[in-house]
Amino acid sequence: MTIPPLPPPPRDRRQRHRTHERAHGLTLNRRQFGGLLGAAGTAALSGCASQDSSTDLDTLQVWGGVPAEDGPQQVVDHFMDEHPEYDVKYTRFVNDERGNLALNTALQGGVDIDVFFTYSTEDLAMRSGSGMAADVAALVRQEPELEPFLDTEEPKALFDGEAITALATTKEPNFVLFNEDLREEAGIELPTDWDLEEYLEVIHALAGSGRYGTYRLPDLPRIELGPNYWYTDQGTSNFDHPAFLRHLDLSADLIREGVIFPWSQVLARQIEAYQQNNFIAEDFAIWETAPFSLRFLSDPEEYPHDFLVACAPMPTINGADWNSGMYGNFIQINAKSPKQELAWEFAKYWILEGSEDMAPGGKIPTLDTVDHDLLIDAILGEDKETFFDVDSFRRTLFDNDPKLHVDTDLTAVAEITQTYEQQRDVCWLLERSPTSAIEAVHANADALIARFGED
Amino acid sequence: MTTHAPATRAPAPRTEPVRPRAAGRAPAEPRPLVGWLFIAPNLLGVLLFTFIPLASVVALSFTEWNLVSGFEGIEFVGLDNFWFVLQDPTFWRSLLITIAYAGVAVPLTLVVGLALSMALNRDLPGRGLLRACFFIPYIVNIVAIGMTWMMLLDPSAGLLNQFLGSFGLEALPGWFASSRWALPALILVTIWAQAGYACLIYLSALQDAPEQLYEAARIDGAGRWTTFRTITWPALLPSTIFLLITLFVGISQSFGMIALITNGGPGASTTTLSFYMYQTSFQFYRFGYASAVGLVTFLGIFVLMLAMWRAQRGRALHD
Repeated sequence: MTIPPLPPPPRDRRQRHRTHERAHGLTLNRRQFGGLLGAAGTAALSGCASQDSSTDLDTLQVWGGVPAEDGPQQVVDHFMDEHPEYDVKYTRFVNDERGNLALNTALQGGVDIDVFFTYSTEDLAMRSGSGMAADVAALVRQEPELEPFLDTEEPKALFDGEAITALATTKEPNFVLFNEDLREEAGIELPTDWDLEEYLEVIHALAGSGRYGTYRLPDLPRIELGPNYWYTDQGTSNFDHPAFLRHLDLSADLIREGVIFPWSQVLARQIEAYQQNNFIAEDFAIWETAPFSLRFLSDPEEYPHDFLVACAPMPTINGADWNSGMYGNFIQINAKSPKQELAWEFAKYWILEGSEDMAPGGKIPTLDTVDHDLLIDAILGEDKETFFDVDSFRRTLFDNDPKLHVDTDLTAVAEITQTYEQQRDVCWLLERSPTSAIEAVHANADALIARFGED
Repeated sequence: MTTHAPATRAPAPRTEPVRPRAAGRAPAEPRPLVGWLFIAPNLLGVLLFTFIPLASVVALSFTEWNLVSGFEGIEFVGLDNFWFVLQDPTFWRSLLITIAYAGVAVPLTLVVGLALSMALNRDLPGRGLLRACFFIPYIVNIVAIGMTWMMLLDPSAGLLNQFLGSFGLEALPGWFASSRWALPALILVTIWAQAGYACLIYLSALQDAPEQLYEAARIDGAGRWTTFRTITWPALLPSTIFLLITLFVGISQSFGMIALITNGGPGASTTTLSFYMYQTSFQFYRFGYASAVGLVTFLGIFVLMLAMWRAQRGRALHD
């Protein structure tokens, strides 16, 4: 019996591999494996980029930062009552850095979003500048009721040349709150119309005995210069305007004198987001703030206090009377939405008719479409007489008609905000002179505008 | 006469030229699919969460992209981002702050860790408890660390300033609320949080140091310093290099503590490169530029680590 000879061993690696493959089943060489990994990666990336396969043309997707139960759901429900053929879904994102990042990621990822809300100037700049928001200028011009949005002197919309990419749905005026006990104790009359000199006299009079006059000065350059105050008409930095130096200088002096709250404590205890605690604790007697802070003052459980709060308008400077607050809660339509008409119908409804549903959540509408008493009830709460001098709020918020703004030049606004705040901090910590601080801001702002101006 | 037939040699069997294999390298055997399947989950994870992001950073560094404009909004800008990095004063300032932060915090952490480990290597009562106490800061949640130190270092009501004030000192440091003191305060907190880890690594190295060498040194009459210099330190050198590299990489990339306590300020006094990258990408949405900053930082740290690694070769006790 002869044994058949064994086949000679394969001579090269590739051949050995194939033999081994036959013996052990399927194997992958490095190149094949690399190819598979690449394909998996590509699939993962393309998966990220194409999530819009489930677009439903009869369902409008709206993303906003206000909790649904604070008004948006009622707006949606009432809209659907009028338009039963459509379905509207409201998705709430938390209006902070992470929440806005989630919205941005969803927008770029092609998630089905038709209408979205933008709250900060930085986000407004980015979303509008990226072409995310549709131009609604022609649609606004067709609606006589929306004519106020075409005003460029006191803008309520975001203009980019002739285009309008965002419409403000609310007014967010600033005002000065007085601790009435401390005001009466100091024998000061509640101001109804005052200028910066009178304001400074008041905070000096209220300061003392371990208490400060105010938390910080109002944004004086804004009061004086109004919209786009960081930019000249030519689009360069406006920080060499004397108003900016005066603001830093005056604030530093008042911190040094103990008239306004020390900035070292603001930074060390991260008080900026919790100013209400120090007002309640009577660390300072007057407080420049906005309507969203009033909810703390009508909550005796969480923020117990036994003094009444009155409201005064912002001081004026040499006749300039811009309020440092702004129009806000911008509604925008996703430029990529296939439901542009429906999205516009909804946006228009929100502005013209949804205000009444949003009022109980304390939102003052851009257009004067809601009864002031209803708004006062919403903003000051049920027990308003217990905590507030109601007439002073009505007078300041509605009768005086604060002059608000929308910034439309938003070149490198996030970077300029940061550079300004950095220099402001070291200046108010009394570690840098106001002159060198504002010179640094001016130089940085010009460099940033030059670099990002064409974006 | 004998004739000798010419000797004929059988031809030598032809052999493939053998390429010498690198020492320690596995034989180039074919890998069956089943092996790949075993490592596939891990490999997929590394691919998705390490290699693809890494490759994306490299690709994005040559582009301008703000995320919101979508993938179609990615604009190729060549080397512009790198050019801006070189001209960007904030980048250079952040680099200096990073070097100062890691350059001071790492050596001091090593010194404190070494001192603790030498003390805790002795036969002390309650030694185990003490070791645990010094290690705890390393495992404590960063938020708790931040909040605690913010209270301790409060310029007016903080315990440390009250303590210093009790000696009649008037110009007390502002700590986190001062552009001059924020970085030193951050270094202090970092050393406190990391020294326990260094101590643990050093302790294990000390326990591995060969006892017979100490015995021989004793017999030869070597003093403490000579013993430390000639036996203990060479025994600790590999651990020191390991700590130097891992702590330097970790501390220079530190983000959580800075974001929590100082947010890069006051001014820009604690804006390290990693925090600057975060600001550039997630606050300013300049993802292309942030990628370029990240890439330059990565290359810098990589070269530095390589230099450290090469510098220590051949100096350890066991080499």
